[in-house]
Amino acid sequence: MERKILIREFIEGLLARKEDTQPFSDEASLFVSGRLQSVDAIELAVFLEEAFAVDFASTGFDQEMIDTVDAISALVEGRSTRE
Amino acid sequence: MPAAADPACKARISPRKPFPWGFRLIPPIETFPPVLSFAQTIPGKLLLLAIFGKLLWYAHSEWRQLIILLAIITALPQYRRILLTFGTLLWACGTWWQSTGHRLLLQFPIVLIVAALLFWAATRFRQSWFGRRPVASLLSGFALLVLLASYLPTDRHLRTLSWDFLAVAGTYLWFVAYSLLDSGSKNRDPFALQVGTYHPFWGSTNAPFVKGAAYLRRIEAHNPEQLAIAQLKGLKLLTWAVILGFFLEKAFMPVVHGYLRIPLYSHLFELSIQRAPFPWYIAWASLIANFLRSLLQISIFGHGVVACCRMAGFLALRNTYRPLESRSIAEFWNRYYYYFKELLVDCFFYPTFFRYCKSHRRLRLFVATFAAACFGNAFYHFFRNLNYIKELGFWKALAGFDAYIFYSVVLAAGIAISQLRQRPVKTTSWIRGRFVPTFCVISFFCILSVFGATDKRYPIQACFRFLAHLFNLAS
Repeated sequence: MERKILIREFIEGLLARKEDTQPFSDEASLFVSGRLQSVDAIELAVFLEEAFAVDFASTGFDQEMIDTVDAISALVEGRSTRE
Repeated sequence: MPAAADPACKARISPRKPFPWGFRLIPPIETFPPVLSFAQTIPGKLLLLAIFGKLLWYAHSEWRQLIILLAIITALPQYRRILLTFGTLLWACGTWWQSTGHRLLLQFPIVLIVAALLFWAATRFRQSWFGRRPVASLLSGFALLVLLASYLPTDRHLRTLSWDFLAVAGTYLWFVAYSLLDSGSKNRDPFALQVGTYHPFWGSTNAPFVKGAAYLRRIEAHNPEQLAIAQLKGLKLLTWAVILGFFLEKAFMPVVHGYLRIPLYSHLFELSIQRAPFPWYIAWASLIANFLRSLLQISIFGHGVVACCRMAGFLALRNTYRPLESRSIAEFWNRYYYYFKELLVDCFFYPTFFRYCKSHRRLRLFVATFAAACFGNAFYHFFRNLNYIKELGFWKALAGFDAYIFYSVVLAAGIAISQLRQRPVKTTSWIRGRFVPTFCVISFFCILSVFGATDKRYPIQACFRFLAHLFNLAS
């Protein structure tokens, strides 16, 4: 749960920089909907690498993997489960 | 390299200031509830198709085939992806290959079989070297085949066969690359559906419009309301394409090259090569006119393609979105030719960014940007036109590609620096906040376009000579 809160806080920060203060649910699309863009995808990916040691070099990277809070959470959880 | 903004969505994030008094040339009809409801009814769909067909008649020579395919897909949305594959195959065999000038229908199934084998191998052997780097393997393999083919004796039948195969394979190379990228997805499409994205019937360049099967899954309309929104947005975009087409044909060209007598850029460039004298201001006028014409042409083409894609029920982003509003080089690159940029990001930027220089943030971004905007860009254009390699040989063709390599290096450096300098948008005066950055970005791309000719290859000395003309330095 704490993990999800951290992820949400980071995404809220990215959105706030674009003056986007609209709320978003855990299932809401962030990239396909256009609220975040590919430059944000890189920042989000770097955050996930640093905060949760996600290794995109081994999993490959696709914006779909980080399109919703739920998807990101599942990605991070999958990594933890493997550990 | 992933650049500043995904074009069609920018408006959603920071609603653009409306035209004075809120006037819009094409109203946002997809937001009007009565229109949206009507577009979901059978008469509404028929009316939409009729108007779309009429606009296609202006915009596209093959409008009949296109509107028939779009009508079938509209009528049977539950079979959209299967129909896309059938439509694309029919389009390829019946129309598209005929218009390309080389009727290589026999090579087409061979390429599809090879692509299917590669897709199967990437899926089946995920942990092998090929499975982990399918796109790098595909591109290296293709480059190696081209190199080998260029060494085949000129009088051998094998050479003709090889180049015929490579010509078709080269056309589908980047579409197959997207399939291989999708091969790692959990919910990947079967190969039969992947084929629907290989030069889809709505049109494409060698850079896939609109990306691959994975992207189509994400943007596909899943209910009647989403379909209606996609189709209404498609109709709006095609209207834009027609308006811009009329503007280019009836206003821009007659005024610029007729009334103002500004010579065509290609003509002036030839004069420069022949060392014929002409005033520097004419060189500037011709260069700017050529730059603006290119912007209009790519907008018209991209809008037409994306409009048909939307009409088929996929809410794709626009290919070109207000490039003249860009305030950074990276933003312009993103707004000018979105699907080419996305191809480079997916095939070169992401793999490099997530594998190399991970402990150096800025270097990592710089290296990945160079991998995409420089190496990937030059690779794409070098192997796009195989005739040069076939006629000159691999190494001579590469040596003759120096101007575009220079273009790619400068472009990548510009994008990388622009990304590293990226700061949050601050409210400043219009001159400092809007005009100056936009002017600098447009000037950069305008001048750089001297080296970026892709339809014809000029030696780099000729490009520098024209550049000297611009600053009145050439004798």
